[in-house]
Amino acid sequence: MEQRSLPLRLGFLGGGVMAEAIIRGIIEKKLVDASSVTVYDVVESRLDLFQKMGVGTCKNSFEILHADVIVLAVKPDVVSEALKSIKDGWKPEKHLLVSICAGVSIGTIEQQLVSKSRVIRVMPNTPCLVGEAAVAFSCGSCATTDDQKVVEKIFSSVGLASCVPEKLLDAVTGVSGSGPAYVYMFIEALADGGVLNGLPRDVSLSLATQTVLGAAKMVASGNEHPAKLRNAVESPGGTTIHGTSTLEKHNFRTAVIQAVTAATNRAKELGGSK
Amino acid sequence: MEQRSLPLKLGFLGGGVMAEAIIRGIIEKKLVDPSSVTVYDVVESRLDLFQKMGVGTCKNSFEILHADVIVLAVKPDVVSEALKSIKDGWKPEKHLLVSICAGVSIGTIEQQLVSKSRVIRVMPNTPCLVGEAAVAFSCGSCATTDDQKVVEKIFSSVGLASCVPEKLLDAVTGVSGSGPAYVYMFIEALADGGVLNGLPRDVSLSLATQTVLGAAKMVASGNEHPAKLRNAVESPGGTTIHGTSTLEKHNFRTAVIQAVTAATNRAKELGGSK
Repeated sequence: MEQRSLPLRLGFLGGGVMAEAIIRGIIEKKLVDASSVTVYDVVESRLDLFQKMGVGTCKNSFEILHADVIVLAVKPDVVSEALKSIKDGWKPEKHLLVSICAGVSIGTIEQQLVSKSRVIRVMPNTPCLVGEAAVAFSCGSCATTDDQKVVEKIFSSVGLASCVPEKLLDAVTGVSGSGPAYVYMFIEALADGGVLNGLPRDVSLSLATQTVLGAAKMVASGNEHPAKLRNAVESPGGTTIHGTSTLEKHNFRTAVIQAVTAATNRAKELGGSK
Repeated sequence: MEQRSLPLKLGFLGGGVMAEAIIRGIIEKKLVDPSSVTVYDVVESRLDLFQKMGVGTCKNSFEILHADVIVLAVKPDVVSEALKSIKDGWKPEKHLLVSICAGVSIGTIEQQLVSKSRVIRVMPNTPCLVGEAAVAFSCGSCATTDDQKVVEKIFSSVGLASCVPEKLLDAVTGVSGSGPAYVYMFIEALADGGVLNGLPRDVSLSLATQTVLGAAKMVASGNEHPAKLRNAVESPGGTTIHGTSTLEKHNFRTAVIQAVTAATNRAKELGGSK
């Protein structure tokens, strides 16, 4: 891992949960110095949090423009306001805009900046914080191959990143953007199952968490289809096939698939209203 | 990680999926040399597989008794036969029996060996293979504290291991023994959701897998309750709460809890018939 391998200044418009996750990740992996990052937010306590990390802060969004890479990390409903506040200082030859706002299209951003703005839209997720993000991003027409590499570098330092056509980003939101929450619920329910059957809560939660971690690593580490991995542990008439058959009976897969669709559709709605 | 930190000979009665996972794990972590492990199995191709790893093999179960730690890794329905085949050579002062047979009680094993036999019963899971097993074990009345440490060492080298009262092991089976299969199904369904909404299969599966891995690591790495982590990513009216509410609508948690109960009950049935 190269030290300080990103010789660019980063500015974050918005210092919420996701911005924090990315910033912590890239600092942890020594991609940037804390001091080369600046955060703008309206909430004082958020600025305090970043200051404690050695990250720069500003109370005026216009000040963020000293950075080369501006990460748009505000809630979707205040995107227009945020872009308006920096539009006058936007320099396409200097600035790259990286948006992590769910459902906000590249076209929407380009329209609200200036002509020839370089824009890349990213759908990351919060496991940035532990270096295991699932990330997909799409490049606007003026973004260069170097811009793409910068984004790949930033997000590969905190997980797995790949470039996809923009039209797929709402579905990416449904799978990996919102997906961690489905997993947290799964882990909780798995632990509840253990408690229902007599395990103390702490033992059950620890086993449930480790089970999900280990199983995901099994899929990630090999080239086996998850169905094949599942079949390998379903002994005839054994405990596992009783468990998985019960999942089928309760339409477990449907629940997950419909959740992805609901989140995807909401991403489209949020995008459509901008 | 100490080199060769287990100066004992290990023998495996049965060389199936689980035995292979444990053997690969402890060799990978350099806890033992392949040459200090011997496997007995009735299937020639399994013996070939182990020989290719540099592990010793034998075609007569009685030969396994040269080892200090004997791992009972046969299917539950042939446990009696396996124990009968080694009973005459069993020396409680030399031998420790470590059983990974789902649903087979310590008492059942002790009855079929000799008086004062040292027995530890373990419920591991297949992510041993990637060093991320979720393991719980229980000690028989004659097992010593050193025996417990040996088992902790073996299974900590391939994941997280904890000692629990034996009466909890059926529920452990339901959560972490069979749990990986629930996760494989979850990953498949999450990927299906992505494909339904337009993602190519390979992109969707990669994002789904990484999402589960990252989310589990988030829970494992911090001290936050999974529900708190979930709430942190459920923006008001956003994509995630639409997704998780859909899971609730489809009784997702019920499916998981019932699966644990079904697997636990099957473990009890399998154990009761011995």
